[in-house]
Amino acid sequence: MSWAQGILLARGLSRGWGGICSTALTRAPFSQGLPQAPRGLHCSTAAHNPDSSLVPRPPEPPRGPVKALAPHVELFRQAPDGVRDKASFVQAVQNFTQYNVHKRGHVDFIYLALRKMREYGVERDLAVYNLLLDIFPKEVFRPRNIFHSIFLHYPRQQECGIAVLEQMENHGVMPNKETEFLLIQIFGRKSHPMLKFVRMKLWFTRFKNIDPFPVPRDLPQDPVDLASLALRHMEPDLSARVTVYQMPLSKDSTDATDPTEPHIIGIQSPDQQAALAHHNPARPIFVEGPFSLWLRDKCIYYHILRADLLPPEEREVEEIPEEWNLYYPMQLDLAYGRSSWDDYEFNIDEVEEGPVFAICMAGAHDQATLAKWIQGLQETNPALDRIPVVFRLSGSSGELLASSSGLEEPPLTPPEGQEEEENNQQRQQQSQS
Amino acid sequence: MQVPEEYGGLGLSNTMYARLGEIISLDSSIAVTLAAHQAIGLKGIILAGSEEQKARYLPRLASGEHVAAFCLTEPASGSDAASIRTRAALSEDKKHYVLNGSKVWITNGGLASVFTVFAKTEVVDSNGSVKDKVTAFIVERDFGGVTSGKPEDKLGIRGSNTCEVHFENTRVPVGNVLGEVGGGFKVAMNILNSGRFSMGSAVAGMLKTLIEMTAEYACTRKQFNRNLSEFGLIQEKFALMAQKAYVMESMAYLTAGMLDQPGFPDCSIEAATVKVFSSEAAWQCVSEALQILGGSGYMRDYPYERILRDSRILLIFEGTNEILRMYIALTGLQHAGRILTARVKQLKQGNVTTILETVGQRLRDSLGRTVDLGLTGKLGVVHPSMADGAHKLEQNVHYFSRTVETLLLRFGKTIVEEQLVLKRVANVLINLYGMTAVLSRASRSIRVGLQNHDHEVLLANIFCTEAYHQNLCTLSQLDKHSPENLDELIKKVSQQVLEKRAYVCAHPLDRPS
Repeated sequence: MSWAQGILLARGLSRGWGGICSTALTRAPFSQGLPQAPRGLHCSTAAHNPDSSLVPRPPEPPRGPVKALAPHVELFRQAPDGVRDKASFVQAVQNFTQYNVHKRGHVDFIYLALRKMREYGVERDLAVYNLLLDIFPKEVFRPRNIFHSIFLHYPRQQECGIAVLEQMENHGVMPNKETEFLLIQIFGRKSHPMLKFVRMKLWFTRFKNIDPFPVPRDLPQDPVDLASLALRHMEPDLSARVTVYQMPLSKDSTDATDPTEPHIIGIQSPDQQAALAHHNPARPIFVEGPFSLWLRDKCIYYHILRADLLPPEEREVEEIPEEWNLYYPMQLDLAYGRSSWDDYEFNIDEVEEGPVFAICMAGAHDQATLAKWIQGLQETNPALDRIPVVFRLSGSSGELLASSSGLEEPPLTPPEGQEEEENNQQRQQQSQS
Repeated sequence: MQVPEEYGGLGLSNTMYARLGEIISLDSSIAVTLAAHQAIGLKGIILAGSEEQKARYLPRLASGEHVAAFCLTEPASGSDAASIRTRAALSEDKKHYVLNGSKVWITNGGLASVFTVFAKTEVVDSNGSVKDKVTAFIVERDFGGVTSGKPEDKLGIRGSNTCEVHFENTRVPVGNVLGEVGGGFKVAMNILNSGRFSMGSAVAGMLKTLIEMTAEYACTRKQFNRNLSEFGLIQEKFALMAQKAYVMESMAYLTAGMLDQPGFPDCSIEAATVKVFSSEAAWQCVSEALQILGGSGYMRDYPYERILRDSRILLIFEGTNEILRMYIALTGLQHAGRILTARVKQLKQGNVTTILETVGQRLRDSLGRTVDLGLTGKLGVVHPSMADGAHKLEQNVHYFSRTVETLLLRFGKTIVEEQLVLKRVANVLINLYGMTAVLSRASRSIRVGLQNHDHEVLLANIFCTEAYHQNLCTLSQLDKHSPENLDELIKKVSQQVLEKRAYVCAHPLDRPS
């Protein structure tokens, strides 16, 4: 018994190949001693010896069903009046090192801390990451001879180090010299975390500006600003103008659950206006949506106003007026066209889409709000009074949606006709009133 | 000046008109005012007017009692004739047209009393459809409703009066329509095409005076104990000015002479060539002359900066140089295309004999054959002292013809959109025409025995060599996939810049953070 305990003690803080060593191997020598579920050779002492008093217990056992508390959680339980910010996070980390001189279970603690960083709002802070790396005991995990370096030395710790660096990568934090120094101290120069660090240093500076359509890091909180940023992000034409058709009512007066006037912001470019003016009033145009747009971690929904493509027989060929340019002939009357050597038009797989006339983002996704948008559009596009507008609002799949009550199914043809007339009548009434 | 004598004008031929232009051009504002009055303002009446219109207007215009102006440009339409918004509607009694609209940047707008106005009228076609076509009208200020704005503040030619002209319900009698109703486009084209060649001689005259003034300065000013004229770079500038002036003169008078031939020869391409070459040469040479003077050239006390500002407009008015290059190239290609159509059709169909012919020609070309078009030699026109230059011209012409054939084969009708290609074709054409003019003038002056003909030979040879090499470079750029052809890259860069509407590179001091 003491011999087994001695071995386990010697393995002390490290967790090794957890489930890799087969339980069959371990079961035989330990079966008489340990009533608990067999584990690998390298496992933490304290978890399996509730009756031994040799080893001081760490706060909570780290195993068991999911319902059990994760270890060290109460370190992160703040005082009811405390605010979750960097100072309290740092305090919690320091508490761990205080209570636990030998730093048992530090791997779990670090994983827990990584999970909790988002709540405390410190996921972009390099100093905090360095602090987390500081928790590792130094000089212990460095490989000392060739056998250490051949096999993955202290794999669990190295994976933990890599996890810290990975979270840094996910949040776009660039490691600095301090991180490098810490990693060398903890893991040595040839370890996997160090390898990852070196790769991060090389590639991240190059990947930083790789996005041709960058979105600013700190997105505006105000929905109107956010919507106008998103609309300008989507629209490639720089001459397009963003118009706010309706500002939301201030939140103090009405209750936040049911705003009666959601914000409506639209964007339209002069080319789109011209195309709408040329649109044949006999063909309907559709309001489709909502489609989702993700900006970093925010999902916003937008609607578009579009028309279908004209079938080829109805497409009018652009007539080149004969007497167009006073100075040079715009058209040569030669009998032959371009040779195939210079033909750069691709005919494969090109699906033409119908024209999109405007995009809008609104607080609510129901027909009434979108009808207000169309009314607002009518001021700059007088051609809209004569064109029938069909609302094709679909339920979006799976994403968070503010008001699910305002969704309608895609209408079938008979209801479409009714809706059209509804829209026409609605608009006529509104324009008359 | 070109008004026929029976109406009180001088009845000058084109050559005499060019000669007069040389003298008038010493002061650009006067030259521009005169040109606007009679090269474009009156020309409409002379070219397309009926007898009684000519008899009514020309005497007083020719004597200078009334001043004429040419009203075509509007705020929304510069070269685009189809987008003119000025409208002329027939009144109920069918005796008047009511004119409504406004024109912008009209020279002599404030002084003129007779305007040649272009407006859109409704014309009923032969098959009954109603279209809007441009018509030319002669409008007098006394018809009422003609107002001119205040004179514009311009960079150069500040002596001339340029302003906006507004027409509000101006009643124009039906008898004042120039040409026929709906035929305004052709009238405009003819007017514009006929006045261009005189720019060559006018600019040459200006350059000659400029050379005199600058040479005076260069030979008297001493720096480092030497006259400025002993320095190589200064000498190069003078040689450039002399050469350009010579070429300009030759081209202008050659064109004027061709226009003076009996019949109505169509020398519009040559006139456009003259205009493009002389305007660009003017800008370059005046700039160099100012440079020779150094700091004093920059001062308002000397006339150089005024001449520089005045010569900037030469590149813009009477058809911007870019547009004229398109015109030169496209008209030439149209002409060539018609001749080559039959051959091209055969090639496309795959006629074996034509293919073999073409292939044989190309092989012989690539193996380097000598081209002899008969310019020099026993029956040659060119004097043997310029045999060199003539030989270069012949080679260029031959190479050019091959390239044009290839281009037409490659692009066909769609060559209209390939402006970078057309620009190169036009440049080659301008150089070729310059070479022709220069060679013929130099040969003539040797044979006739004019003074300083050896100087002319020198200038001719220099220009021919330079133009030859430029042409070779340009023509090599016209091959597909040639390494000198940077068109694709240029288009890519411009697309990226115009997408963001700004300069897109990162600042040199930016760090990767």
